[in-house]
Amino acid sequence: MPPAANTIIVEDTAAKLSFEYRGMVWRIAWRNLWRSPRRTWLTAASIAFACLLVSVGMAMQAGSYKAMIETATGFYTGQAQINHQSFVEDERLEHTIPDATALMRALDRVSNLFAAPRAQGFALVSVGDRSFGGLVVGVDFDKEQQVVTFFNNLTSGTLPKGVDEVVIGETMARNLGAGVGSELVLLGAAKQGGVAALALTISGLFSSGQSELDRTLLFTHLEAVQNGFSLGDEIHTIAIRVADLTLLEKQISQLQTILPDDVIARSWRELMPQVTQGIELDRISAKLMYGAILILVSFSVINTFLMVVFERTREFGMLLAIGMRPGLIIRQVLAEALFVWGVGVAVGLLLVVLLVSYFSSAGISIEGMEELARQFYMPDRIYPAITLQSLVVAPGVLLVGTQIAAFVASWRIRNLQPVAALRVD
Amino acid sequence: MSEVVVECTGLTRTYDQDSVPVYALRGVDVSIMQGDFVSLSGPSGSGKSTLLNIIGGLDRPDSGEVVVSGTRLGTLSESALAELRLHKIGFVFQAFNLIPVLSAQENVEFILQLQGVASAPRRARSTAVLDSLGLSQMSHRRPGELSGGQQQRVAIARAIVTNPALLLADEPTANIDSATTEELLLLLQKLNREQGMTIVTATHDPMVMGYTTRKIKLHDGMIEEDETAVVV
Ligand SMILES: Nc1ncnc2c1ncn2[C@@H]1O[C@H](COP(=O)(O)OP(=O)(O)OP(=O)(O)O)[C@@H](O)[C@H]1O
Ligand SMILES: [Mg+2]
Repeated sequence: MPPAANTIIVEDTAAKLSFEYRGMVWRIAWRNLWRSPRRTWLTAASIAFACLLVSVGMAMQAGSYKAMIETATGFYTGQAQINHQSFVEDERLEHTIPDATALMRALDRVSNLFAAPRAQGFALVSVGDRSFGGLVVGVDFDKEQQVVTFFNNLTSGTLPKGVDEVVIGETMARNLGAGVGSELVLLGAAKQGGVAALALTISGLFSSGQSELDRTLLFTHLEAVQNGFSLGDEIHTIAIRVADLTLLEKQISQLQTILPDDVIARSWRELMPQVTQGIELDRISAKLMYGAILILVSFSVINTFLMVVFERTREFGMLLAIGMRPGLIIRQVLAEALFVWGVGVAVGLLLVVLLVSYFSSAGISIEGMEELARQFYMPDRIYPAITLQSLVVAPGVLLVGTQIAAFVASWRIRNLQPVAALRVD
Repeated sequence: MSEVVVECTGLTRTYDQDSVPVYALRGVDVSIMQGDFVSLSGPSGSGKSTLLNIIGGLDRPDSGEVVVSGTRLGTLSESALAELRLHKIGFVFQAFNLIPVLSAQENVEFILQLQGVASAPRRARSTAVLDSLGLSQMSHRRPGELSGGQQQRVAIARAIVTNPALLLADEPTANIDSATTEELLLLLQKLNREQGMTIVTATHDPMVMGYTTRKIKLHDGMIEEDETAVVV
């Protein structure tokens, strides 16, 4: 009998994989997971641990950066500042913002925004026969307290009440041999070329912790400086704080529309580049660490799945022999990896949420680091903040990592010969 | 006049064992007809498994040709061969036939799912096959909860549920005791007689040869004897 013509019996069953078959993939994968529960738990635990480390780390970062920015900007600079363009380039007395009263009134109408006007001038500060150079800043003390914390640092006396009162740094007071109640004479160059002369009484002393400021700064009422330095209705700086830091950039660009020509608003990113750089540096080193953790875990998952595939060689040989395509078996292994990932991430995220929600109210103090913390504008306690990013990034990367790991480990199934696989013992 | 299910001509297969050629098959010609119940016997290493694997599309010969239900295997790609195995051939191995995490019924249904059979006919067919093999009581048990003989019966159920043209078994009774072997043989005999199932089984066991209707003996990779029992 002649052999019949080659009939094409092949209709690709893989292509019409039924919905039920896919259900079966998941069922087998889930049950396979519990063939060696200890191994599964160990793998899931390493995934959970990586997830925990990275997510909590990110929550700490989010919390500490926010605190860092708030502490740094809230100290004296403000979250943003408005200046005349020329003042930004060169901080000279005549580089002022004109019509300050009208501008301040306009700013007061902007909701969720606090603004504090400042005018400043250099002066020779004398008590008796002692003199030192200083920068006298005229401020509105009520408004300043809505924007910065600087004036909470009084160590003695009170903030100026009368227009002829002044607060100075403790270092300057010591240098001048002065104290609360002492009379100061300030001499400087006024705007129109005349002499600026002020006689002020010390109402209080401050100690900000930054010796440069404590040695050179004096604060009095805005009008005193404006009058003394012949500034009229002009100021140099408006310090800004907004209710929600995350909306700062948006509010700045809105502000820009009500500002006169050549008057610009800049955020802390420009004002305090060292803070931005510090955060950026910290982000990079954290990313490197997270990357290392995630890669290590992925390698341990490769190892697990190499073992899984190796142990099931005969089973896979049988499946190939009865006509299952290698691609389907690999999918099966990937489904298993997905479940291990799911178990690990579920446990990990549960711990993250528990830990972070506890510490986000209790805070984590950095014992013995307070000194260092202060230098980097870090608060004494960090309150980790759960952000979407901190919950999504680690699980997402681990998902990709575990799938790639399982794929790499199961790659050899593609070339597995059923006969050879069945002979393995 | 029965139809040819398997046609082998001039099959040779040589393995390389540490660069020493091992001649597993040295020119085998054989035709297996629809309804044959064949035992392949012969000493260890005589080529029984090799021949069975080549007929089943699990291995390819170095030369010669195999035609299974009209399909020339030599021309098929790997995936076409897999399709052929899935649809046309039932396999029963010595061991490791079943997926350990699935119940007996799920194991039987699994192959239908690979074929893309919908849920209702799948359930009906697997139930019917398990019933006919006397396995309905243990359909929910996993392989680990079954005896060796029961596992082999489930493997047979899995192999025949797709209505294959050919059932290939490689020493299916090697791991089970003689009483259970006899049960299994009666089962295969019944399949052969009542459903006309074509069965080829490799075996060492004289008891198996007692049931088959055609006895092929291999020696050193060649057919030494091919004897068809007189049908009584
Ligand atoms: N994958 C392989 N690699 C190397 N040699 C092999 C391979 N498979 C089979 N052989 C050799 O081919 C010959 C025939 O093997 P085969 O398995 O077909 O014999 P068999 O008759 O089934 O033996 P047994 O009764 O022991 O199962 C033997 O010498 C065996 O060692
Ligand atoms: Mg053999």
